[in-house]
Amino acid sequence: MFSEEEVVRSHKDRADIIITLVTLSFGFILIRLWYLQIYQGDMLYEYSIKNRLRKEVISASRGMIFSRNNQLLVHNVPRFDAIIIPQYLSNKKQTLIKLSEILDMSVSSIEKTLKKYRAQARYRPVLIKKNISKKEVAIIETENEKMPGVSVQTFISREYKDKEIGSHLLGYISEISREQLPKYRKRDGYDYKLGDFIGQAGVEEKFDFFLRGQDGYQFMEVDARGRMKRVISSNNLFQGIENKASTPGKNIRLTIDRDLQQAAFKALEEKVGSVVAIKVDTGEVLSMVSRPSFDPTQFSKGLTAEYWNSLTSNEHNPLRDRVIQEHYAPGSTYKTFTAIAALEEKVVKPTEIIKCGPTFRLGRRVFNDWKRSGHGDTDVYKSLRSSVDVYYYKVAKMMHINDMSKYAKMFGLGSKTEIDLPREIPGLIPTAEWKKKRYGEEWQLGENLVCAIGQGYVLATPIQLAIAYAAIANGGKVYRPQIIKEIFTNSGEVLKTFAPEEVSKVNVSDETLKHVKKGLYQVANHREGTAWWYRGRGIRMAGKTGTAQVRSMTQTELFSKCKDMPYKSRHHGLFVGFAPYDDPKIAVAAVVEHGCGSSAATPVVRDVITKYMKKYHPELHKKYAEEDKIAYLKLVRKEREAREARERAQELKKQQEQKENEENSEEETSDENDSEETN
Amino acid sequence: MDFSTLKDFIKRYDFSFFLLSIVIFFFGVINLYSATHASISTSHASLYKVQIGWYLLSLVVGFAISFIQPKTYFRFAWLIYGLNVLLLLLVLFVGDTGMGAKRWLVLGPVRVQPSELMKLSVIFILARFYKKYHSEGMTGIKELIFPAILAFIPALLIIVEPDLGTGLLVLLVFFTIAFYRKLKWKTLGVLAIAGVLSGALMYEFALKDYQKRRIKTFLNPSADARGSGYNAIQSKIAIGSGKFWGKGFKNSSQASLNYLPENHTDFVFSIFNEEHGFFGAILTIGLYLFLFFRFVKLASSVSRVFDSIVVIGIMSIFFWHTFINMSMVMGLMPVVGLPLPLMSYGGSSLLTFGICIGVATSISNARNMF
Repeated sequence: MFSEEEVVRSHKDRADIIITLVTLSFGFILIRLWYLQIYQGDMLYEYSIKNRLRKEVISASRGMIFSRNNQLLVHNVPRFDAIIIPQYLSNKKQTLIKLSEILDMSVSSIEKTLKKYRAQARYRPVLIKKNISKKEVAIIETENEKMPGVSVQTFISREYKDKEIGSHLLGYISEISREQLPKYRKRDGYDYKLGDFIGQAGVEEKFDFFLRGQDGYQFMEVDARGRMKRVISSNNLFQGIENKASTPGKNIRLTIDRDLQQAAFKALEEKVGSVVAIKVDTGEVLSMVSRPSFDPTQFSKGLTAEYWNSLTSNEHNPLRDRVIQEHYAPGSTYKTFTAIAALEEKVVKPTEIIKCGPTFRLGRRVFNDWKRSGHGDTDVYKSLRSSVDVYYYKVAKMMHINDMSKYAKMFGLGSKTEIDLPREIPGLIPTAEWKKKRYGEEWQLGENLVCAIGQGYVLATPIQLAIAYAAIANGGKVYRPQIIKEIFTNSGEVLKTFAPEEVSKVNVSDETLKHVKKGLYQVANHREGTAWWYRGRGIRMAGKTGTAQVRSMTQTELFSKCKDMPYKSRHHGLFVGFAPYDDPKIAVAAVVEHGCGSSAATPVVRDVITKYMKKYHPELHKKYAEEDKIAYLKLVRKEREAREARERAQELKKQQEQKENEENSEEETSDENDSEETN
Repeated sequence: MDFSTLKDFIKRYDFSFFLLSIVIFFFGVINLYSATHASISTSHASLYKVQIGWYLLSLVVGFAISFIQPKTYFRFAWLIYGLNVLLLLLVLFVGDTGMGAKRWLVLGPVRVQPSELMKLSVIFILARFYKKYHSEGMTGIKELIFPAILAFIPALLIIVEPDLGTGLLVLLVFFTIAFYRKLKWKTLGVLAIAGVLSGALMYEFALKDYQKRRIKTFLNPSADARGSGYNAIQSKIAIGSGKFWGKGFKNSSQASLNYLPENHTDFVFSIFNEEHGFFGAILTIGLYLFLFFRFVKLASSVSRVFDSIVVIGIMSIFFWHTFINMSMVMGLMPVVGLPLPLMSYGGSSLLTFGICIGVATSISNARNMF
C-alpha cells in the first residue's frame, strides 16, 4: 500500500495534462477572438455603427368572413400613419416644420407627442398622425430625404361591412393584453407578441387560429437614419440568414344570411333584445342579432376613449350577446314543454276538457290566470293558443317536477347548445335534487306550478329556445347550432367543411308532437290565439308567445298597465316559432327586454320569417298568402253572417215584442277588431 | 479551522481564491451595469444592484463555509447527495415552472434551484467513492460503472426538467474527475465513441423541440425558424466590432439597441468584448486561467485523495462554464444557456460559485494545519 499523500502525488501527470488542455482550449478561444476582432474587426465595426441589421416582421393578412351566400362581411383595409423614430431624427426643427406643413398640424402638437414618448426607447416609432391620406403618404415618401426620422407606417385595419349588425356573432379583434399573453402562448403554442391583434369575441375569437395566419419576417439592412436599404439574404458575413414569407389567414363562410341579418336588426328597432333564426332541418344559424350593439371596426382601429365610454356607460351592456350570453325566464313559451310532459306522462288526454276559472288555489296560496275572467272549458289546443295559466297549474299539480323537467332537458334546455361561440351560458331547468343541493330545501308543490308556466327557477337562452322549437317542428331532432359552413384558402381550396350535427332525438311520441304543433299553429292562426294580430301573411307561422316577469308582482301590479311601471320592472316579451306549419323550414326566437309582453317580440319573429319566405320560397309564400287571404275573407264572412244571424234573431225577438216598430237601417261597420291588424 | 490569533489567521488563511473571484466579479458587475443602463424598464436597469446584493451574500456564505473541515464533506457526502437527488425528484413533481421548464422549488420566500447545488454534491460523492480505491493504479471500465451511475442519475433528472446545459455539465464534471483519477486511455477512447453514439440517440428521442432547434441552428443557421441564428449573428457583430481596444465603457451599440436578448445573462461576454475589445478579453481570460491554475496546483499539493478530487471537480465546474459560455457567444457552439462564472447575472449561479470558492479555501487552509 501507498500512503495517501503518495497517491495524490501520483496524479501529477494527469494534473499536467488537464492544465495543458485548459490552456489550449483558451488559446483556441483567443484565436477565434482574434479572427472576429482583428481579422473581421473593421468590417463588423463598420456594420455595427453605420448599418444595422433589423428583423422586420411581415404581418400575415387576416382571413375574411363571408355570409352563406358569399357576400363579404369582414375584410382588411390598409391604413397609413405618419410616424417619427426619434433615434434617427436629426435637424429636428426644420424636419418638424416641414412635417407640420404636410400634415396640417402645429409644430408644438408634434413636439408634445414626442415628449410624451420620451421615456420609451429611442428606436421605437412614435405615432404622429393616424390615418393620413394617400396624398400625404406620397409627399412624405418623396420628401423622405429631407426629413430624416419621419416615415409612413402601414397598418391593416379590419372593417366590418355591416357595422353594428351582427357584431356579437362576428366579434372583434384588439391587441392582446399582458394577462392574455402567457395564457394564449401556452394554449396555442404560438409565439404571440405584445401588439399582436387577436380575436376577442365571437367568430373572431373562436376561430382566431384559422383567421390569424402566420407572420413571416425578413432581414433588412438599415442605414444610420433608419431607412431600409435592402433585404438581406445569406452571404459570407451573415451565413444562414433566411427570410420567411407570411402565410395569410384562412377565410370563413358562415351559415348566416346577410339579408336576414339586416331584416332581424331592423325588426328589433331600438329595443333591447335579440333574435336568432335557425334552419329547422339542419340547425344552421341563419341570423343572430343582439341589440344594443357596437361597431367592431372601432376596436381594430384602436378604440377612442369616447367610443369606449359610450359602450361602458350604456346600462344595457352592448358587448353582451343576448342570444347566448343572457338567459331569461321563458314564461309561457315554456308551456309547450309542460304540455308535452303532461301528454307523455298521460296526465291529460289531448281533447280532455279541464275547467279553468280565473284563479287556482293550492293550500293557502292563490295562483292567478293572466285573464281576469278566466278561460272556461279548455283542452290542450286551447291551453296553448290562449296560454291558459290555470290549465297548466292543474296539470303541473299532477306531475313530479323531475318528470316535467325531463322533457325540457330532452329538447336541450338547461345545458349549453355548444354553439361555436365563446362564453355561452347554460340556462337552468330545475329538479328536486338541484334545489336540495343548491338551497338545502325540499321541493315544494307550489314551485311545480310556477315552473309549469316558465317562471321561477326556469331559465333559458334564446338560442336554446330556437333549437328546442326547431326540434318540435322537425319531429324531435335536437341539433347543435351551426354557424360555420366552411373554411377555405385565398385560392379557394376548401380546408374544412362543417356538417349539421344532430345531438340527440327526443323520446316523445309523434302523436304528442302533432297535438302540440296543432296548438302552436292556433296561437297565430286561430281567432282566439295570442299571436293572431301578428300572424303575418303567407308564412303559416306556428309558435308560442311568452311574458317573463322580471320580479314577482302583487295582485294589483299584475293587472296594472305595464307601460305605467318603471322600465326595469316591465316584463320581457318573448316569441318562439317556426314556419311554415305544414313543412317547417325556419325556427326563430326573439326576446325583447322590458318590452311589456309578447306583442313586442312577435312582430320581430314574423318579420324575420317573412323575409326568409320571400327570399327562399317566393312561390310558396305567394301561394300561402293567396290561401291566407281566401281563408281570412271566409272567416270574416262567417263571422259577419254569425253576427247578422245573431242580430236578426235579436231583432225578431224585438219585433215579436213590439210588433209595430219600423224597420231599422242595416248599416254595417267593419269588424272592429280588424282595424288593429297590421301587415 | 482553529486559528489561535488574528495574526495567525491572516498568515495561514488562503485568500487567493476569494481575491481572484472578487476581481472577476468586479469586471462582471461593471459590464452588467453597462449592458443594462440604457434599458427601458427600470427594473432591468437596476439589475446590477441586485447582482451586488447576491454577490455579497455569496461571499458571506462562502466565507462561512471556508471554516468547515473537509472531513465533514467526506462524512456527509452520501447524505448531501441523497437529499439533493430527492430535491431534484421533488422539482419534477411540484416544481415552479419558469420559461417552460421546471427548475425551481419554492420554499416560502426562497426559490431554490436544486440542479445548481447538484454540481457540488456530485463532486463530493465521486471524491468519496474514488478515495476508496486508494491506489496508484489506473482505473478501467470496472471502476467506472458505479461512479457513472452516481453521476447519471442526477444528470438525467436535470435533463428532463429540462435543463440540458446543467445536466451535461454534471456529466462533464464526472468525466473530468474520472480522467484525473487515471482513467485508462483505452477506456477513454471507448467512452468517447459511446458518447457520440448516445448523443445522437438522445438528439433523436430525448430532446425538446427548442433544444433541437438550437442545435440545428448551430449546425445550419438557415434552418432556423425563430431567429436564434439572428442572436448568434448579432453576438458575433458585437464581439467583432470591439476590435482591439473596444468601443469603451457604456458604448455598446448592440446592447443599447436591444439587438442582443439576454445580454445580461448568457451574452454578457459579447457586450464585454464589444466595449473592451481583444485587449479586455485577454485580460479576462488571463484571470480565469490564473484561477484554474491555482485550483490544479492546490489539487496536487493536498495530502488526502478526497480533497484533491474535490478541488479538481470544482475547477472543472468553473472551467466548463467558462469555456462553453465563451464558445457559445462567439458562435463555436450551440446556445445552451450556461452562465459565465461571476460575470453573468443570476443569484443561484453566484451562490454556487461562492460556495465552491469557500470549499476550495477550506481545503487549502486544512493543508496548512499540519
